[in-house]
Amino acid sequence: MQPVEFVLSPLVAFFVGVFFLGFSRKLTARIQRRYGPPLYQPVIDVVKLFAQRSISHGVLFEVGVVVSLVGSVITVMFIPLGRICPLCSSGGLLVVMYLMLFGPLGLALGAGESANPNASIGVSRKMLLALAYEVPFLLVILSVMCHYGTISLAEIVAQQQAGRWGLLSLPLALSALAAFLILPAMLGIRPFDLVSAPQEIASGPLVEYGGRYLAVIAIQGAFHSFIVIALFVDFFLGGGTNVGTFLLKVLVVFAAGVLINAVLPRVKIEEAIKFCWKWPVALAVVSLALSVVLR
Amino acid sequence: MTVSPEAILVMAFGGAAASYGLGLVSAKARDVFAVVLTAVLLCLVALLYGRPAERVYCSDFLGLTLVLRTDALAWFFAISVSLVGWLSTVFSLSYVRAKGQVNFYYFALLLVNAAMLGIVFSGDLLSFYIFWETMSWAAYLLISYNRGRALSAGLKYIVMSIVGSCAMLVGLVSLYAGYNTLVISELAARIASGSTGPLLPVVTAFGVGFGIKSAIVPLHTWLPDAHSEAPSPFSAVLSGTLIKMGVYGFVLVMYAVVGVKLLLGLGAGWLRFHSVLCWVGAITMLVPTFIAVLQDDAKRLLAWSSIGQMGYIVLGIGIATSLGLGGALFHMFNHAVFKGLLFLAVGAVEYRTGGVRDLNELGGLIKRMPVTFACALVGGLGLIGVPLSSGFVSKWLIYKTLIAEGHPFLALAALVGTWGAVLYVYKLLHNIFLGQLPEKYRGVESAPVSMQFPLVVGALVTLLCGVLPGIPLRAVGAVVGSLGLEPARVTLAGFGPEVGPLNLVNICAAGIVAALLIVALLRGAATSRRVPQQDSYAAGAYVPVERYHYTVRFYDPLERAAGVYLRDRVDEFYSWLAGRATRVFDVLRRIYSGDVRDYVAYIVCLLAVLIVVQMVWWIW
Repeated sequence: MQPVEFVLSPLVAFFVGVFFLGFSRKLTARIQRRYGPPLYQPVIDVVKLFAQRSISHGVLFEVGVVVSLVGSVITVMFIPLGRICPLCSSGGLLVVMYLMLFGPLGLALGAGESANPNASIGVSRKMLLALAYEVPFLLVILSVMCHYGTISLAEIVAQQQAGRWGLLSLPLALSALAAFLILPAMLGIRPFDLVSAPQEIASGPLVEYGGRYLAVIAIQGAFHSFIVIALFVDFFLGGGTNVGTFLLKVLVVFAAGVLINAVLPRVKIEEAIKFCWKWPVALAVVSLALSVVLR
Repeated sequence: MTVSPEAILVMAFGGAAASYGLGLVSAKARDVFAVVLTAVLLCLVALLYGRPAERVYCSDFLGLTLVLRTDALAWFFAISVSLVGWLSTVFSLSYVRAKGQVNFYYFALLLVNAAMLGIVFSGDLLSFYIFWETMSWAAYLLISYNRGRALSAGLKYIVMSIVGSCAMLVGLVSLYAGYNTLVISELAARIASGSTGPLLPVVTAFGVGFGIKSAIVPLHTWLPDAHSEAPSPFSAVLSGTLIKMGVYGFVLVMYAVVGVKLLLGLGAGWLRFHSVLCWVGAITMLVPTFIAVLQDDAKRLLAWSSIGQMGYIVLGIGIATSLGLGGALFHMFNHAVFKGLLFLAVGAVEYRTGGVRDLNELGGLIKRMPVTFACALVGGLGLIGVPLSSGFVSKWLIYKTLIAEGHPFLALAALVGTWGAVLYVYKLLHNIFLGQLPEKYRGVESAPVSMQFPLVVGALVTLLCGVLPGIPLRAVGAVVGSLGLEPARVTLAGFGPEVGPLNLVNICAAGIVAALLIVALLRGAATSRRVPQQDSYAAGAYVPVERYHYTVRFYDPLERAAGVYLRDRVDEFYSWLAGRATRVFDVLRRIYSGDVRDYVAYIVCLLAVLIVVQMVWWIW
């Protein structure tokens, strides 16, 4: 644990996350035969937002956004990015799971104070969507923890690097598939972008946010995407022996997710729940049962 | 001066009676007395820490010795009882002032707390039973305090309580028949020294009694009614400590009397008592949690959530490892504090809005009651188990045990239950405090100081135990050690690498630094201006001022999909059973017709039957 890692880890997450935003827009545009904005467009957007004056509905409205981003920044520090992992010795996977709560919860509380029913509807959808994907996701996490017999993320990565990738060992291959199926839901991209559906509920929780607060939310979103995919890579693709290979794997998984995003239309919340609780749960339950039996 | 449990008990019971007498003279003196008494009790109990003692206070009561004792286990529960008792008494000052029969209220409240202290300080099972009954009946008085619907809630409670007491009595008598003593320490020694009688039925009988009090499924049906109909400060005591007496009973009988070694062997084949308890715990935390999500009454929501949280505690006890038991005990304490806090917060809202606790009528109260909201938020985060709140550490211990012991499906139930908690906590906070402030609540004042004070104390305890869990975990470790398990090694900030890395001070420090940096970033950016709530985006349409808040059926898709399965079928079954029994007894009642000629006929018939029996079989 070196002090420089505390700075490095969030910075890597920030730049990669922001790059993802631009990359996904470009890739989606190309699939849809448009030219698309430049790769650095999100950077321009965020800088512009910081320079714009905005409105506020109260203290919680502002604090919620900060809490949300703080939660995401700390979560990154618990995830091994190649060899960088400043807080790995302070807690394991269980802590990561709970720290990931801060993001949605902070935003939900902040949006709640905006007194706009669109925001409340969006939050209600977010909570249900989270419940929908958390059930298979928890099953996946449990089978990973059972398979490697540890709750430490660093240990899980180390075991994969010594032996086989999680994706290539039998019970976890099913888990990996389940996790990949719910990946768009966790990232909040199409077909599961119903939480912040702009055309239906005026961007849901974000409806009242503008200026510097919206900028912070955009950064939090970038962090969140990075966290979800980094976890996937650490679970199933053996993490990385250095930051370079790690980020390469992250990019591949993200691109695969964006390909789904680009071609599917948005679903309703009921359909999202039904989808998440059908195949991903079935696959993950089989995987968990197998990892218990095979241990 | 040495503090002894008998001094504490005399003071607690005497104080309860004195508060009634004092109230007849002066209301103010009674209020001050009640607060001072509970505060002094809290201090005295705190002074007992680390001084195990046992004393016979009545050597020959019907041939039994009655004993009082303190040890690590008793102290841990006593401190929770006296802390919640103190907070709820302070809260009561304004809450009950406007209601009738205030003297009676204080008397019953102090009596319940005194009886609970009596339960934990009992050194033999007979005293335990006597104090248990005192607690049950005193609680009955308070549950039905509000009259109206509270009367039937109280009746339901007391009927189930009596069933539980009968089951306990069966256990008690069989223990006495088998081992010829009821003193806990002697009982433990005799049970451990070989002669294994039929322990399983005894433990099951006690389990029914404690299960009813701690409201585990399917013995929970009294709780939602009782918790929601009782006066709010007493709901805090009910949910905070009274149902925890069931937990105390479980720990006492399972670990202190029977002992871990015998406990693990209790049962037949693969069906063990403790593993059945684990699965009962899993069901208890899963189903009620999602029933809570669909509730529209703030206190009913919290009541169902209490049942769900009891599931975690029972699960931790059932898993029977050092970490699991430690997690369960710690969660017991944490839940007492943050659930008490939440009930008090809802009580404060109820007090200021004229008795409204319907989640579909409130909204936007954060603008009027910011302190209450902040404390409720901390309580809610504790309930979810967010890091840096106390609930996180205790739940972490339970998950960690479940995974380490190879019960991933139990761990799944616990983790999914936590997501249910996220759903209902947000619904509670959102529907009461967030969203638009309706016109009619524009003039609501913030809660009085005597209500804010217990809220703030509860919130601080929740945060303190969350950031520096080493302090309470030391006491938990002492309990676990005294029950024959190896306590886990704790540090001030969490656990070392041998248990599994957890360092909450690091997380807290990293969070503060990150927050400061982000705030600095925001300061550097363009400013924002505060706008009134009507100034919100409505696509150019007019924003109504009376009520404009998305609350009704907040989780509608879940309600439509799962509402059918999330009914309390156990309660329906009991009600059906009660209805049927009423009809049967109504028929039986007709035997007593009140006509002497009928009774003469019965006697003649009986004699005739006896004579026939005697003539045919020659029995006598």
